[in-house]
Amino acid sequence: MSEFEPQIVAFFCNWCTFTAADLAGTSRLSYPPNLKIVRVMCTGMVDPKFVIKAFLNGADGVLIGGCWPGDCHYINGNLKARRRVANLTEVLKQYGIGEDRFWLRWIAASEGTMLKEVAINMTEKLKQLGPSPLRNMGQMAI
Amino acid sequence: MSERIGFFICHCGINIAYRVRVKEVAEYAATFPGVIVAKDYLFMCSDPGQDLIEKEIKNQDLTHVVVASCSPRMHEKTFRAACQRAGLNPYRAFHMVCVREHGSWVTESEDEATAKAIVLVRAGLMRVTNQSALYPSTFPVNPNTLVVGGGIAGMQASLDIASSGNKVYLVERQPTVGGHMLQYDKTFPTLDCAACIGTPKMVAVGQDKNVNLMTNTEVESVSGFVGNFKVTVNQRSRFVKTNCTGCGDCAKVCPVESPNEWDVGTKMRKAVYISFPQAVPVRYAIEKYDRGPCVQTCPAGINIQGFVALIKAGRYEESLKVIMETMPLPGTLGRICPAPCEGQCRRAEVDSPLAICQLKRFAADQVDWDALPVPDIEEKPETEKVAIIGAGPAGLSAAYFLAKKGYHPTIFERAPFAGGMLRAGIPDYRLPPAILEQEINYIKKLGVDIQLNVEIGKDRPVAGFFDEGYKAIYLAVGAQSSMKLQIENEDADGVLHGVDYLGLLNRQHPVKTGKKVAVVGGGDVAIDSAREALRQGASEVKMLYRRSREEMPASKHEIRDAEEEGIKIELLVAPVAVLTENGKVTGLRCLKMQLGEPDASGRRRPVPMPDSEFEVECDMIIPAIGQRVNNSFLEGTEGIELTRWGTIIADPVTYQTTVPGIFAGGDMFTGPSIAVDAVAAGRQAAVSIEKYLLGEDMAENRPVVNPAGKSWKPISKKVKPAARAKMPVLPAAQRVGNYKEVELGFTEEQARAEAGRCVDCGGCCECKLCVEACQAKAIDHEMTDTKETIEVGSIIVATGFDPMNPSKMTQYGYGKYRNVFTNIEFERLSNATGPTAGKLLKRDLKDPFKFTDPPKSVAILHCIGSRDNNYHEYCSRTCCMYALKYAHLLKDKCGHDTEVYNFYIDMRCFGKGYEEFYKKVQSEGVKMIRGKAGSITEDANGILTVKGEDTLSGRLIEVPVEMVILCTAMEARPDAPDVMRKFGIGIGQDGFFQESHPKLAPVSTPTSGVFLAGACQGPKDIPDTVAQAKGAAAECLALSSAGQVEIPPMISSIDPDICVGCQLCIGLCAYSAIEFNPYQGISEVNSAICKGCGSCSGICPSGAAKVRHFTDKQIFAEIDGLLLH
Repeated sequence: MSEFEPQIVAFFCNWCTFTAADLAGTSRLSYPPNLKIVRVMCTGMVDPKFVIKAFLNGADGVLIGGCWPGDCHYINGNLKARRRVANLTEVLKQYGIGEDRFWLRWIAASEGTMLKEVAINMTEKLKQLGPSPLRNMGQMAI
Repeated sequence: MSERIGFFICHCGINIAYRVRVKEVAEYAATFPGVIVAKDYLFMCSDPGQDLIEKEIKNQDLTHVVVASCSPRMHEKTFRAACQRAGLNPYRAFHMVCVREHGSWVTESEDEATAKAIVLVRAGLMRVTNQSALYPSTFPVNPNTLVVGGGIAGMQASLDIASSGNKVYLVERQPTVGGHMLQYDKTFPTLDCAACIGTPKMVAVGQDKNVNLMTNTEVESVSGFVGNFKVTVNQRSRFVKTNCTGCGDCAKVCPVESPNEWDVGTKMRKAVYISFPQAVPVRYAIEKYDRGPCVQTCPAGINIQGFVALIKAGRYEESLKVIMETMPLPGTLGRICPAPCEGQCRRAEVDSPLAICQLKRFAADQVDWDALPVPDIEEKPETEKVAIIGAGPAGLSAAYFLAKKGYHPTIFERAPFAGGMLRAGIPDYRLPPAILEQEINYIKKLGVDIQLNVEIGKDRPVAGFFDEGYKAIYLAVGAQSSMKLQIENEDADGVLHGVDYLGLLNRQHPVKTGKKVAVVGGGDVAIDSAREALRQGASEVKMLYRRSREEMPASKHEIRDAEEEGIKIELLVAPVAVLTENGKVTGLRCLKMQLGEPDASGRRRPVPMPDSEFEVECDMIIPAIGQRVNNSFLEGTEGIELTRWGTIIADPVTYQTTVPGIFAGGDMFTGPSIAVDAVAAGRQAAVSIEKYLLGEDMAENRPVVNPAGKSWKPISKKVKPAARAKMPVLPAAQRVGNYKEVELGFTEEQARAEAGRCVDCGGCCECKLCVEACQAKAIDHEMTDTKETIEVGSIIVATGFDPMNPSKMTQYGYGKYRNVFTNIEFERLSNATGPTAGKLLKRDLKDPFKFTDPPKSVAILHCIGSRDNNYHEYCSRTCCMYALKYAHLLKDKCGHDTEVYNFYIDMRCFGKGYEEFYKKVQSEGVKMIRGKAGSITEDANGILTVKGEDTLSGRLIEVPVEMVILCTAMEARPDAPDVMRKFGIGIGQDGFFQESHPKLAPVSTPTSGVFLAGACQGPKDIPDTVAQAKGAAAECLALSSAGQVEIPPMISSIDPDICVGCQLCIGLCAYSAIEFNPYQGISEVNSAICKGCGSCSGICPSGAAKVRHFTDKQIFAEIDGLLLH
């Protein structure tokens, strides 16, 4: 493969963003195959370990997708995710993983189009950035 | 035991196979460690597909199954069931990989789609072996159902469920059920009348013993889960009890009118109303908001909206009664009150505040005070005596309220007249003594004894009244002494302080007054003194005030009146010395001032300008810069404490002084203030004294004088600016030299028009005429909202839609052109209970509530807000058909020669009998123009010209018509997002609630047990709505008859061996499902409450909290699979 193809691990909440991904499918909106989805019930259950694990395993980007604030199926799990992501972002920076590689996006169940755009934009961005600095380090760790 | 995995990939016809090379994926899977069998099949979800899985499990002794097909949201359940049938625990054995929605459908290249599928499958294969066996728990189902919304959908669903014998709670926000359907006239295509087919449903839900109908009610919160919901509902008080007979006598007497929401504002209703004659329940309701800002501001708490509404209705005696409930001096205060209420009046948002004070005077002037009936008083024993010191507004007020309660108050007054400062401090041309006298006489009639010329102090001390048999004493002597200027020669002959001057004038005429008079000050007393001086023969009167006109505390109209009479006001001037000759005043030395920084009162502090001294020539100086309390009457009484300003110390709530049984109020407590404050204080004192005499806690259960809250009735857009009534006054030339009253009072016509300007902030004005009118005694103004928690197993959301308001589409002139109607307005016109009793009439060009004659030509505009990228992309699905219905009704009711034009984009007549109806209407001679109308203009005669393009002939056309009907879009209600959150359902891009699947699960939502029915899910007509309602009812009944539900086992658990008891999870749990076990020092999950959101697992620092099926091991394995190189 000549061009660098970034690996994106996406943690999507079952109720909004995972459903939006289903909607993108039923609406036949195409987006780069770089993004691969892990289904979680709520962004509030995304343990920082999951994100760190993904980066250590060589992910070039991690995307967390949840319901818009106020629309959480579990009242406010997404707000907990937001706080956790803010903290984790600071930690990851110290290991060379900038905000450009770790995205949190609110994508409602009806926003298939937005999901497509986020997938395209994130892939583009990571292509510009190149491989994650942790790619090889992670391999050693495992 | 070694893992034996079976892998199955679905072609989904060609949906997956056209992009993903399924055989290649299966071949890859076959090489994966532990995979025993890897197969592909055309339709994995079909019976043969499932059989295949089951057979392989048995034949190959599989322990795990991975299926790669569509989204797990679609068929996870299907395959789990197959695994279960084959004897595996589905949660341990099965994982589903989505290669359709997340694979073939979103990836353009076959290579990429196949590669992605392989990675996803790898992750699935790695995850599945880490899964554990889980066992869902079962719960019983409560057979009752909650239906939210009483439109046709809600009513139908309720009746269907009720007929099964199960109980239904039908909650409706409005005071009646019925919904939009009952607002309509006829229904397409059969033209049966909506009321004829709808009212039987209404009556049925009202009478069915299994339907608990709760109108005026909204759902506040929902907790629990499928089969076991707990719902808190709030029933807003309708202030009319269930024994209401619906006779309507209350509405006949109610003086407050508002546009009727049911008739979309085409007709007026009263504040006590039923929406329409067939409403269910047939029980009136009173529309109340928070009390108006005027009532909230009035120190005396007068029900201003109430007495104003009664003036509007011409019921002056009742109006006066409302005022006198809280304030005994209406004619007096109606003349002199500075009216703090008017400053808050919301009418100012339209034009200028209501003339509240002057209306109060009007009410008082309309009655014969001598003939005014005395209310029934339950007399207390003769020994219940109260002594009141001072016959000013506070003392009179306290006496009035005590006397009304049957006590025996006696007022002791030093002056030879009653009224205090009202009499002594206010000139007769503002407040004629006769007015005050008639009100004092009325107070006397209630049993108040007033003793004049009684000096309290050394010879007759306050405390002595207890010995005379008085059980409580109220001190209200006011602030009668003048403040001094504290400048040189202030005691010279010719200096007379304002309060003393006015006081003298009220005892004797004439009072020696100079020719050239200088009044110092800018308040009401200064103005009164200046105007008095003019009447006493002064030839020149100057007022000197040290700040600017903005800061003058006197009321604006008084300042204006004074200037009209020839009084000069010199601003930014302060006196420094009185000039004298032989001890007599010859002038006043002054300094010019400028304004500096604001002081404690918020007004800018005057600062002297250097070298600006000048002299004012005068032979009399009247300083009127304030008053203070004279406490000489307290001589001989001990224990009463004073502040350093000389005012009395009393409890701010009860007004009891430092001596029990002695109360104080008015100016002597607050310092100099306005009369209405003193009246209010008197009322409060009366409350305290009664409680004191009864031995009750004086601070408890006091009446609320100024209710709070800002939820006021919105000001109708139909309120047009109207000038505030102008008080007729005596011409300036006729005023000088006499004491004729200057303000003459409103004429009846003026007063009623002015009262009509009230915007009814509080809705109901609480005049209580309805209470008297109701023979069933059903009205209860004290009724409060009731909250209730109901338990149900299933919920149907049937909250309906809103018709779009087309005002924002200015090209159609809705709201501006009188004869541009919306569809709902037209329905009300056509309906027999509407504003025209079913006649189709044009609106009067001047009066929006008047309808004249039938239109000769009408244009019906389709797709207003629908199929329009600027508003709603979707088709509202009903407009074509009701437009045809309107065309038919117009031809039918207004005559066959009526020209009817339909401007349409496409005709969508898709239902049973619809196309036939279209043909029929066309044959009636209705003109169909294919093309959306672009704009409407109106000429001077009210003729509307509709401009549009006829796309069939390609011509631009202009059609002049007399009436236009806009077929507006159906849109989601503005509070749909709130409803969404309450019930845990979703909203689609169009704003309507989202069903689980557009075809196969049209009534289900993401929250199991919550179902949708009707137009809240999307625009639809009545047949579709009813069908969906029946579908939702069937879902609820299916749940009920199953009797139990399985709850997915993917909930949290906390490993007791790892938990350190930090309790971080407890704070985060949105459901309070985690409790701390103090004996073991660990946190524990209550599995009946936990929803499995995983907030706890995300935060747990020790990794003890985990969501089952989403453990670290499982997610890590999935990540490993995704990123393996």
